[in-house]
Amino acid sequence: MSRLLRRPRLAALSLLATGWLVTVGVAGLLAPWLPLPFPAGVPDLLHVAEPPSWATAPRHWLGTDLFGRDVLTELLFGARQVLLLSLPATGLAALVGALAGGGVGFWGNRGCRLPLAAWLVLLAAVWWLLALPGGGQAASLLLGAAALAWWAAPRWPWVSRAAWLLPLDSLFQAAVTLLGAVPRLVLVLALAAGPPLSTGKLLLLLVAVAWPEPARQVRAQMLRVRTLPFVEATRAAGLTTSRIWLRHALPHACRPLRATVPLSLASLIGLETTLAFLGVGRPPDVSSWGQLLSMLRQEPSAWWLLASAGGALLLTLLALQQLARANR
Amino acid sequence: MKRWLLRQLGRAGLAAWATASLVFILSRLLTVGAEDAMLSSGNDLQVRTAATSAAAHQALRQRLGLDEPIFYVTRISRESATWRWHGTHNQYHHWLAGLLQGQLGWSYRDGQPIGPKLRTALVYTLPLAGLAAAAATLAALALGLALADGPLAAPLTGWRASLQVVLTSLQGIPVFVLALGLLFLFANPDALNLLPAYSLADNPDGLPLGDYLLQLIMPVLTLVLAVLPELALPLAAALRHELRADYATTARAKGVPAAILLRRHALPNALLPLLTSFASLLPSLLAGTVLVESVFSLPGVGRLLAEAAASHDYPVVVAGVLVTAGGRLLGLALADALYALADPRIRLAL
Repeated sequence: MSRLLRRPRLAALSLLATGWLVTVGVAGLLAPWLPLPFPAGVPDLLHVAEPPSWATAPRHWLGTDLFGRDVLTELLFGARQVLLLSLPATGLAALVGALAGGGVGFWGNRGCRLPLAAWLVLLAAVWWLLALPGGGQAASLLLGAAALAWWAAPRWPWVSRAAWLLPLDSLFQAAVTLLGAVPRLVLVLALAAGPPLSTGKLLLLLVAVAWPEPARQVRAQMLRVRTLPFVEATRAAGLTTSRIWLRHALPHACRPLRATVPLSLASLIGLETTLAFLGVGRPPDVSSWGQLLSMLRQEPSAWWLLASAGGALLLTLLALQQLARANR
Repeated sequence: MKRWLLRQLGRAGLAAWATASLVFILSRLLTVGAEDAMLSSGNDLQVRTAATSAAAHQALRQRLGLDEPIFYVTRISRESATWRWHGTHNQYHHWLAGLLQGQLGWSYRDGQPIGPKLRTALVYTLPLAGLAAAAATLAALALGLALADGPLAAPLTGWRASLQVVLTSLQGIPVFVLALGLLFLFANPDALNLLPAYSLADNPDGLPLGDYLLQLIMPVLTLVLAVLPELALPLAAALRHELRADYATTARAKGVPAAILLRRHALPNALLPLLTSFASLLPSLLAGTVLVESVFSLPGVGRLLAEAAASHDYPVVVAGVLVTAGGRLLGLALADALYALADPRIRLAL
C-alpha cells in the first residue's frame, strides 16, 4: 500500500479499477431486484436489433439485441455469470491449487509415507466406489483390517514399518501433463460439447482446467519456503508436520497468488465468455456478455452490442489487470 | 539431448492419447442424444410414429456402432453392479484400431468420414497458422528488441513504457473480442471498409493469390495480436537481463556499438530460455483459430471443431483434440531443433 501512495497515478487507476469491479459485482448481485424498464427474457418484438433510442417512447437505453431483448437488462444479468461462475471458479481453483501445490512442494516424492491403515482405507474406498465383486462386504472387511492395522501400528514394529511412499510429485506432474496436452480452450470445448451443462457442472469443469496454474506457482514457492530457517525453527520447536505445513509454510507459499488471482479470474472470464460466444455448454437462454457478442456474427454492424458488451468485458479485464499490477 | 527429446515427446504423446481417450469415453458415456441429434437434423421432415422412431433409433445406433459396449470392461447395470469383460468387441477398441490405421471415424451429423473433412479444413488452417506463426515470431523479435533497446534504468520510459502497457493490456483480451473489434473497424461499411471480410468460403479454389492473401490479413492480424504479448514481453525482459550481465559491460567497454551488442551478443543468450514458449506457440495458435475462423467464416479446422462442439458431434471433436495435440508434438520437436540451432553446446553434445 505504501508503494501505491508513492505513485499517485497507480493509486488512482487502482481506485477506478476497484470501483468498476464493485459496480459489476453489485449489478450482478442485484440484477433480479433492480427496477429495470424491461424485464429479463421478455422480447420486445416491435423493436428487434435497434440501436439505442433515448428520444422516442420505448426507451431502450442501450438498444435491443437480435431477439428484441433489452441490451441493458441482458448486460446486467450477464454480470451475474461473472459473479456466479467465473468468481467461484477462480476461488475454488486457487484453493485446490494452493492445497495441491503446497502439499506437493512440501512433501515432494519421498516425503509422504502413508501407513498401512491409510492404504487399506484407500483400497476400501476404491473397492466400494467401483463396486468390485463383494461390494460393501469386502469394503467393510478392508476397513476392519485398516482399523486393526491402526491399532497394531504402535504395538508391533513390523506393521508400522509397512508404510509405502506416495509419490506426490510424480502424480502431480502426470496430472499437469495430462491437462496440458491440448490448449485449455480446446479441452473445455471438448468436455463441454455435450448437452448444456448446469452451472455447477460448468463450475467444476472450469476449476478442473484452471487449478494447475496456481498449483504450479505455490509449488515453486513452497520448494523455496520449506528450506527457510523459520520452518527449521518450527520443527525444532516440536510442532507436528501437518501443523507446520498448514499454519506456517502454506501462508508464505501462497504469497504469489495475490498478484496472479486477478489475472486468472480475467482469463476465466475470457474462457466463460468464449464458451458463450461459441454457444457451447450453456443453454441459449442464459444471459451472458459472450452471447450478446455472438450476435455480431449475424449482424456485424450492430455497434451498440459491441460497444456495450465488449466495453463491459474489456473494462472488467483491464480492471483486473490493474489490480494484479497493484498487488505485485 | 536426444534422450531428453524422446522422453519429452513420449510424455506429450502419452498425454495426448490419454486426453483423447478420456474425451472419447466421456462423450460416449454422457451422450444420450447423439442419434437424436442426427435424426432431428435429418432433412426428412415427415412425422414419425413412436414405433418407427424407435426402430430408426435402433438402426442408427447399429450403424454408428453405438450398440456395442463402450470399453473392454463395463458394469452391466447400476443395480446388479457386476463387471463384465467384453473382449475386443467394444467401441473404444474399434476407435483405437481405426486410429492406428489412420481412420478417424464418421461424423454424427452428416455421416461423412472425418479424415477427408479434416484434410480440406487443414488446407485453410495451415496457411493461416503458418503465416501467423511467422509474423508473430518476427513481430515479437522486433518489439522485444525495440523494448530492450534504450537506457538501462529499471523502469521503462517514454513510448517504450506505453508500448509495454499496451502489450500487457492486450494479453488478457479474449481472441474473439479482438477479432470482432478488427472486423468492426476494418470491414464495416460505416467505419473503414478496407479489407474484405467474408467470401473465402464462397469460391475457395478460383481465388487469385492476391485476393486470398488480402482476405487472410485480418485473421492473421488477430492471431498475431493474440499471441504477441506472451512472446514479446518475456523476450524484452530477458534481453534487458542479459544487457545487465558482466559480458555486456565488457563488450561495451571494448567499444562495441549498442545495436551490435543487442543483436549479436545479448539476443542469442536471451532467446534460449524462450524457445519453450515458442514451442507452445503452435497449439495456442490452433486454439486461436477456433475463434478466428468462427468470426471470419473461414472453413478451417478451428471452425470445424467449434461447430462440432456446438452440435454435439463427438467424433469430430475427438479428431480436433487429436489434431491440436499433434500440433503440440510438432511444436516440441521444432523447439528442440531450434535449441540445437541456437546453442552450439547442445549441437556438440548430440
